[in-house]
Amino acid sequence: MRIGVFICHCGSNIGGTVDCAKVAALAATFPDVVYATDPMYTCAEPGQAAIEEAIKNYQLDGVVVASCSPRMHEPTFRRTVERAGLNRYMFEMANIREHVSWIGKDIEANTNKAAELVKMAVAKLRNNKALHAASFDVNKKVLVIGGGVAGIQAALDCAEGGIPVVLVEREATIGGKMAKLDKTFPTVDCSACILGPKMVDVAQSPNITTYAYSEIESISGYVGNFTVTIRKKTTYVDWSKCTGCGACTEKCPSKKTPDAFNEVTGLTTAITIAFPQAIPKKAVINAQHCKKLLTGKCGVCAKTCPTGAINYEMKDELVTETVGAIVAATGYDLVDWTQYEQYGGGRYPDVITSLQYERLLSASGPTGGHIVRPSDGKEPKNVVFIQCVGSRDRSIGRPYCSGFCCMYTAKQAVLTKDHMPDSQSYVFYMDIRANGKLYDEFQRRAVEEYGTEYIRGRVSKIYPDGKGHLIVKGADTLLGQAVEVEADLVVLAVGVEAAKGAARLAEKLRISYDSYGFFMESHVKLKPVETNTAGVYLAGVCQGVKDIPASVAQGSAAAAKVLSLFSKDKLQSDPQISQVDIKRCIACGKCVQTCPFGAIELFDFRGQQKARVIETVCQGCGLCTATCPQGAIQLAHFTDNQILAEVDALCQC
Amino acid sequence: MSVLAGKELRIVGFLCNWCSYGGADTAGVARATQPTDLRIVRVPCSGRIDPLFILRALLHGADGVLVSGCHPGDCHYAEGNYYARRRLEILKQFLPVLGIDPRRFEYTWISASEGQRWQLAVTKFTQQIHELGAAPAFENAEKLIQIADMALTALRPLGTGQHAALADLKKAIVEKLPELDCVIGWQQSYDAAHSAPLFMRKPEDVEKLVWGPLNVNNLATYLPQYKGKKVGIVVKGCDSRSVTQLLQEGLINRDDVVVFSMPCEGTLDMARINQALGAYQHIDKVAYDEAGVSITADGKEHRFCMVEYAQGKCYSCATPGAVLADVRLGTPTPVTGTPATPPELALLDSMSLSERFAFWHTQMERCIRCYACRNACPMCVCRDYCVAESRDPHWLTQEDTATEKFFFQTIHALHLAGRCTGCGECQRACPVGIPILALRQQIARAVAQTFEGYRPGMNAKATPPLMGFTVEENNIKEKDWNK
Repeated sequence: MRIGVFICHCGSNIGGTVDCAKVAALAATFPDVVYATDPMYTCAEPGQAAIEEAIKNYQLDGVVVASCSPRMHEPTFRRTVERAGLNRYMFEMANIREHVSWIGKDIEANTNKAAELVKMAVAKLRNNKALHAASFDVNKKVLVIGGGVAGIQAALDCAEGGIPVVLVEREATIGGKMAKLDKTFPTVDCSACILGPKMVDVAQSPNITTYAYSEIESISGYVGNFTVTIRKKTTYVDWSKCTGCGACTEKCPSKKTPDAFNEVTGLTTAITIAFPQAIPKKAVINAQHCKKLLTGKCGVCAKTCPTGAINYEMKDELVTETVGAIVAATGYDLVDWTQYEQYGGGRYPDVITSLQYERLLSASGPTGGHIVRPSDGKEPKNVVFIQCVGSRDRSIGRPYCSGFCCMYTAKQAVLTKDHMPDSQSYVFYMDIRANGKLYDEFQRRAVEEYGTEYIRGRVSKIYPDGKGHLIVKGADTLLGQAVEVEADLVVLAVGVEAAKGAARLAEKLRISYDSYGFFMESHVKLKPVETNTAGVYLAGVCQGVKDIPASVAQGSAAAAKVLSLFSKDKLQSDPQISQVDIKRCIACGKCVQTCPFGAIELFDFRGQQKARVIETVCQGCGLCTATCPQGAIQLAHFTDNQILAEVDALCQC
Repeated sequence: MSVLAGKELRIVGFLCNWCSYGGADTAGVARATQPTDLRIVRVPCSGRIDPLFILRALLHGADGVLVSGCHPGDCHYAEGNYYARRRLEILKQFLPVLGIDPRRFEYTWISASEGQRWQLAVTKFTQQIHELGAAPAFENAEKLIQIADMALTALRPLGTGQHAALADLKKAIVEKLPELDCVIGWQQSYDAAHSAPLFMRKPEDVEKLVWGPLNVNNLATYLPQYKGKKVGIVVKGCDSRSVTQLLQEGLINRDDVVVFSMPCEGTLDMARINQALGAYQHIDKVAYDEAGVSITADGKEHRFCMVEYAQGKCYSCATPGAVLADVRLGTPTPVTGTPATPPELALLDSMSLSERFAFWHTQMERCIRCYACRNACPMCVCRDYCVAESRDPHWLTQEDTATEKFFFQTIHALHLAGRCTGCGECQRACPVGIPILALRQQIARAVAQTFEGYRPGMNAKATPPLMGFTVEENNIKEKDWNK
């Protein structure tokens, strides 16, 4: 074999703490290495051209690049060697940046370590074999999980591109959190007015099938060919008959049902349609509050319904859809703020969340857009906003910034003044983060035009003064003194966390999630929409905190990824899958038993049982290889011999 | 190229691509300073890590091995790390019997976002290895010869099976024989002091059947090659567990096997018997009584009491009666007392880590690499495809070093993890008498301790622990790097 080795300086990133020239000189002495050099930037255009040139000039049949993480540039260099006529798997990478130069400053130790990592890569490469991808058909249909604004945008863009879309929404209506907002910053547009038409587009698009009030039960398969089981939760209303007329909701006698859509700021009926612009506009019975379902006595809605859509016997239904790609857009939920005892822990009715305040501001909310205190229904005069409740707080394990709270608090302060010109708003804040387009200007208007009092400091305690007010005690850290505000209403800018059940869904999707439940993108900067599972993309807050424009942008980005995936009629499968050496297989079935994907089956081979791998199902984990005692099933590119070569290169030197 | 003299030690890391390798990258991106000793081997999943890679590294010069995968529940491949957790835990508990300090190997779970946790793990693990110092080399271990003390109190009276219903057994076999291709039992071998397997096809063959403490062979070893044929087999309690284990692994079909059982009163340790008999020309007489056997060779009488000359496994045997049988004759003596550590393992337990290393080195120098241990093992079902003789995969070289031979023993032991019933055929077949059963016994003890007393070969329907997992493991604790 003729191997070429390229030790990248990465400018000073590697060259600063690793003697790259020395590593290259050492590499030249390794078995089968016929050429070794140390370019300044190997991934740059001239660097890649130099690899191609060296392959031709030195008749190389394998290349090692020692540079950054293979998670970063392995695909780049595989394409490089492919351009020069090598098989893309005749390439190995040694990570001498993230694992060497960036984690220590001892040049001697780093140089030694880098050389050994190169030695391991060379040893593995000597055992590499050319691998060839098989191609398979793509099912050009996409599943979008979550019907908030990000999911809606992704669904609409895919549908516009001619792709059939299956949109699954957990709640009874699409729209997500944005549908609950009154107005949006920084333009103070009516949220329903800008989101509503998009929701209608979803309903009217011939390419979009919406499953509202449904959840993902299970997902199997792989990019291009996923099979998804969707659980349609029991609504007790036959939606094919329901016209959304609302007659049932007027007659329902259970009028004390907490209104989830209104964030429990008001009451509704046991059978309900979330809000007037709901898509689909269909009724759902809340089984916990329906008299008929609880006691068997009532049935008023069934009698009222002009189309006979009510069905108290309804059960969950499972539907199966096959798709080629998946966009996860599951959004967020609010942090449980009641753990903050200093804010009353949920005991004071006039301490509410910002999302509840949105419902009070909204013309379609429980108060018709009139701001009143939940405790006595009176209009408040002094409104205190507290920011960073459940954000940037290590004590509750939520160290990150929720991003958009500064801006919506400014918006809510502006709206408060608009609704009640003689009111006064106070905002307790840590820092103001207003870094979007027109954001800082907007926040300044809240202060300068609307007279909002911004107090830099934390609130230490809220308590009722017994006269119907809440005393908000805090510190003004700019003045260096304690402050006390007599508030009629306190609005908490509660931070966000991943939607409930996000981790469970991630496991079904086989994507990673961080310790807060946010889904992990493939690369934090360069692949913010992709995941590490091919064919699964992310949109919106499920990937990390972002506001509406960013969510919409990511929804469109995810759609673009889906459309580009579907621009090909055939996909190439990853050839890094397991292969059975039929001579060595004794059909003990241990691989079949442990394979997490059911990708191995026993079959009859000339009268003998043997195992075989279903190529399109195998994901390449290699569990079977570690399970097979006689080594008859080997994961291509990570065979026993390849790993042993690395171990030996390291230990026997 | 050598490691920096005196500064660095040799530490190998096996990291899964999706979580921990990403975590190590995250640490790098955050410029999280770490010791430089560790070199990372990237694998797709922690489930890909054959524990033998770790042993290979430790036996070939690594001072420490660190494995890291996705957190349980967060595996990119859904379940790989659940399997890895069980296998790596058993490996960790296996290391001490080899003479390797278990602190030289740790496994942990680190996600792609946990750069700081990776930094902590590498720093703490490197410190731990530096505290232990450079690992001793197997080839340099000193000589140490020790012999296990077999004089243990047995869990039941040992005897020679003189009251066994041999005549009834023969009758039962003759009755069943027409519907079977053959029945496997024992017959007298080249002299009356030895027995050998007997394959009964005709009623007159049955007359040759013998029963007694010389019936040492585990006949279950023959069953897989008869798969598809109808065979009968005569079993002792220990043999029946091998039959059960073969059934569990689908290597034989229940409908094709008829199991004849008689309660076993113990078998003789033929290595010690042969040693006592020495070189002889002729066996004059073999006489049994309740407590032992008297063998007269070349006119000299040798007395072998069962309590002194039984196989090590017989003292701690809790299943003298078959765990499964179609034709069951006689009633086994009840087992009393709590199972004691078998003598071979007790010997290893009594030594320090360095003594064990020295002991194994001495023993492995004696190994002639005949693979009789493998060929006698009823669970060694790879047969002609054993990795010991394969070049692809190439786990073992043909070098005649104690390390390579010891590595083979660890391969055998780990391939038997959760499967070995402790029948001891490996050790019995060893022509140079190396107590290799101790390695399997240590794994069996680790499996029982970790998986709620699981014993292989007791239940054909059970899932072997290393072929399954539970999401929460009751007896496996995650490494706490903050301690």
